[in-house]
Amino acid sequence: MKPHLIALGAIVAAGLAAAFGVRDAVALDLVFTLLLYAVLGQSWNWISGYAGNISFGHAIFFGCGAYASALMVTHGLSPWLAIPAGALAAAALAIVTGFPTLALRGHYFSIATIAVAAIVDALVRTQPALGRATGFELPIATGWAALQFADKGPYIVLALALFAAVQVATIALERSRLGYYLRALRANHAAAAAVGIDERSWKLLAFAWSAVIASCAGVLYAQYTLFVDPPSTIALGISIDIALVGVVGGIGTLWGPAVGALVYVVLAKGVALELGGSGKGYDLVIYGAIICVIAALRPHGIVGSIVDGLRRRRGALDLGAAATGGAA
Amino acid sequence: MEALTTFAQLLVGGVLTGLVFALVAVGLTLVYGVMDVVNFAHGEFLMLAMYATLGLALLGLGPLLGLPLVVIAMFLFGIVVYRVFVRRLLSGPPEATVFGTFGLLVLMQGLAQAIFSSDFLSAPNPPFSGTLRFAGLAVSQASVVEGCGALILTALLFAFVEYTETGRAMRAVAEDRIAATLMGIDVQRINGLAFGIGAACVGAAGALLMLSYPVYPTAGVPFALTAFVVVALGGFGSISGALVGALLVGLLEVFGGFYLSPELKLVPVYLAYLIVVLLRPQGLLGRR
Repeated sequence: MKPHLIALGAIVAAGLAAAFGVRDAVALDLVFTLLLYAVLGQSWNWISGYAGNISFGHAIFFGCGAYASALMVTHGLSPWLAIPAGALAAAALAIVTGFPTLALRGHYFSIATIAVAAIVDALVRTQPALGRATGFELPIATGWAALQFADKGPYIVLALALFAAVQVATIALERSRLGYYLRALRANHAAAAAVGIDERSWKLLAFAWSAVIASCAGVLYAQYTLFVDPPSTIALGISIDIALVGVVGGIGTLWGPAVGALVYVVLAKGVALELGGSGKGYDLVIYGAIICVIAALRPHGIVGSIVDGLRRRRGALDLGAAATGGAA
Repeated sequence: MEALTTFAQLLVGGVLTGLVFALVAVGLTLVYGVMDVVNFAHGEFLMLAMYATLGLALLGLGPLLGLPLVVIAMFLFGIVVYRVFVRRLLSGPPEATVFGTFGLLVLMQGLAQAIFSSDFLSAPNPPFSGTLRFAGLAVSQASVVEGCGALILTALLFAFVEYTETGRAMRAVAEDRIAATLMGIDVQRINGLAFGIGAACVGAAGALLMLSYPVYPTAGVPFALTAFVVVALGGFGSISGALVGALLVGLLEVFGGFYLSPELKLVPVYLAYLIVVLLRPQGLLGRR
């Protein structure tokens, strides 16, 4: 536990240094996106990594937060209210959609998440109260009360706080009854059920928390970009980006999503900027090639292989790492 | 009378749309049935086949003349992709195949965008561009050709899997990989062949779709997305299930688009999927 907290402290310190020391807007934007995707990847990791139900619809929970923010602000209410409102909406959506679908196995579950997300997307696009396909532009007002800032520093501080809170929550998850039950269900659902673990209720709990985390990221995103529409928040493409971030680093590991976000944001987005924008598809070529190589050579993800390697060197059987690293 | 004609028009439209979906879905379900892999890059294989068809059409080999060449090229492409890439994914955890094929999707889209740009490209002067009219109904000739192609392809694939020695070996591998190995079946060879045939099927689909659809780097995405639902709805691995699922999805989409609104046309499709898998978790014609 201690090394994880030290690593987290070092990341927060480096992030704070960047927030107040760096003036380059493009670099700061990358740092913000990196933290946002690390949070979203971790949120996905709760249900898809630890619990093993691979979701391709996670963006709808991100959208709950973003739309909560847009609705609050455009109706003259405080964006701070969007944090509980978005979280409640996301948890409710997770429970309503998870109750029937979480019992589905393998690809049938994954495609059900695509179906649910596509239905949500279509409904949002036809609801005038939700801004239809055009979405919302948030009115500009700066200050902590309006949760809007003229420069990027405070946004990075907020993103760092959210990232740190989610990492600490995940450390707690790994040590909690919920965390052990999820890994047991993932490793062998029949055996877990046989010792009395109720699959549906524990997975629903994980799904709801996972949705709440994604919703918090959504609020922060909306306050940062001040623009919310379906393609930038709830579309299938965002869901897939989240899932890929979750898996590239290492599925079901504490640091996997952060490493996945680093690969996605720095290697794919950052390099593409250097090569002349993402319009030419270079970012996709680089990112796609990285995913292919990792899937073929390091199928447990970057962090997953490091964990495996450490365990092999120690030669000891660490039950926690065994469940997170390799069991399928 | 008018309402009846509208209904008949929608019915015909729905069946033809469904057959186009079946065309794309059969290759996907074959690969899944044999090796439990959902090839998420299936739509990008389709996109590649469409660009290949377009290239041949620009050289003077129109979509239908180019079809056999595209099918052979895609068959070889599928075998190479299996040998070099998918085979490695199979030795990892189950999620490795999901994300490996997703990586392939991202890579192929990126390459297409880098090489061909994002422009929509159509085959020059495609044949069958007219409209067929009978009994007050109108259907495009291209969609009839595509529908016939889907039926022929599905029938060929079904006959191959049911009645040939190799098809029997594929079913054996699908049923029990280890038992099949013990019976002297080379599982790697059968897997590679199945992946190649799956790619060849989507090659034929791509060539036929160039009759009426433009190609662009993400051209395969909407077709593949529907194909995943079609295949899961029918039951992963079932060829006849894919055909039934595709017809159901086609009809739901066309009727939904007309009676609800075009923006909501996919809602009944996805709702039907959710209802079917909640009642029958293995899909309509799938085995447990």
